[in-house]
Amino acid sequence: MPTDFVTYLSQINNAVIAENGNDLAYLLRPTSPQGKDLVKEFRNPTKQTLRRFEGAIMSPWDEIAISYVLTCSHVARKRPGEAFKEHSQLVSSFFRFFTENRGWTLPALFSILRDLRDLAFDADLHAKYNDEKSEAMEEAARIIAKAFSNCITDRTSPPDQSRKWGIYYVVGLILKCYFRVKRISLAKNILRALHANDIPPLTSYPRSHQVTYRYYIGMLNFLNEDFEKAEEELTLAFYHCHTGAHSNQERILMYLIPLRIIRGHLPANELLDRFPVLKRLYMPFISAIRKGDLSGFDRALDAAEHTLLGLNVWLTLEKAREICMRSLFRRAWIASDKSTRMPILVFYVSLKISGIEITLEEAECFVANMIHRGYIKGYISHERQMVVLSQASAFPKIADRQAPFSYMTL
Amino acid sequence: MSTSDSKEQKAENPTLSVLEEDDEFEEFAVADWDDSQTDLAHLGGAAPGAAKSGGDKLWEDNWDDDDVEEDFSIQLRSELEKTKKAKEATGESMQT
Repeated sequence: MPTDFVTYLSQINNAVIAENGNDLAYLLRPTSPQGKDLVKEFRNPTKQTLRRFEGAIMSPWDEIAISYVLTCSHVARKRPGEAFKEHSQLVSSFFRFFTENRGWTLPALFSILRDLRDLAFDADLHAKYNDEKSEAMEEAARIIAKAFSNCITDRTSPPDQSRKWGIYYVVGLILKCYFRVKRISLAKNILRALHANDIPPLTSYPRSHQVTYRYYIGMLNFLNEDFEKAEEELTLAFYHCHTGAHSNQERILMYLIPLRIIRGHLPANELLDRFPVLKRLYMPFISAIRKGDLSGFDRALDAAEHTLLGLNVWLTLEKAREICMRSLFRRAWIASDKSTRMPILVFYVSLKISGIEITLEEAECFVANMIHRGYIKGYISHERQMVVLSQASAFPKIADRQAPFSYMTL
Repeated sequence: MSTSDSKEQKAENPTLSVLEEDDEFEEFAVADWDDSQTDLAHLGGAAPGAAKSGGDKLWEDNWDDDDVEEDFSIQLRSELEKTKKAKEATGESMQT
């Protein structure tokens, strides 16, 4: 039987009285079945025609219910801009209730904010398609930021029923909006407020909140070139992610793999086999690094240039070229029976057979760089054109290098 | 991303075109889960961030290969000879 509006109002009322956040979330979702029923019941609803229902249930739920019908109606009639505006009103009305109540309301909050972001997405897309200006996603971020303050300022609820349990989910959603509109510098304010307040440790939040938050913090650090912090957060995001959330794991690894390569940790086949798209993208680089195939590495950079630039990982992989060169020099050293005295000419020739045409001076310069950056232990005797290598470990393990990311931002 | 961009990307490698910068981190289907449903299982109790030598078999940190193919050694030696000969023939002038 279809749900009519009077029934809908009483369902909302019951959920509020029972403090059932999940039922409320369901009732406020435009995609729930009652949404369609209500669109049919009111052919062309407006604020005016629905005014008679004001006061039918306790405030602000009467207004929320009316906004809900209007939102559903706009969605059904393919007016994404209006749907977004109306749903924004619903969210604002909800905040009036939310700030007076405890954490049981969080499932409903999460659900309406998620819908807000999705509707903003549709509104902007629709506007772009019609060559119109629309800043729904920016507006959504502002509204969600209010929800963040409403969560963080809960100083009265008992700890286990605090609205503070909504903080990390809401921050994840705000960051998602900022990334969408490419305005990540706005994240600073939210993160500052986050660190300035007394809130439960991240690890006590549900894993979905933790992983989403860490992914975005990892990405922020990656884009701000704090690679050490990026690697740390993305590593935790990956290991705490549900293995069934394949595309999220893939997304995390897309950035984590280049960072781990710089650290000297190459993804094992066991890992790559689970992510064929990433295997396809990164395998040429990994194979080239293992073999010291410098021209193969350059070919791989060229071939995937567009994709890598689009994903913002080109620069990271370009830095990994040093590791490939180190493998090539190490190969030349092995072929020279691990001699502790190697003419620069040998390095020059090894570059040459790897397809790199340079002068002897340039080769010497590369070797000097390798020594300077800790890839090779030894020194150069320029007069004798000889590299004198350390007896103990001439080519230290890449993974043992201190501060592997320190040269990346030069 | 404009259409001409996506065309270019297709020409580059069709399998890579599924990777888009605009792809978003997705909502999780469930809110919470335990260790057994994550990759923590691969760590055998080690902290995330290690590699094989630290107990995490998903990442290799000992990948230096001491077996250089015969080909490479031969090529290196013959190229070295060639270069030396060229150097002798032209005096020291190869350092241009």
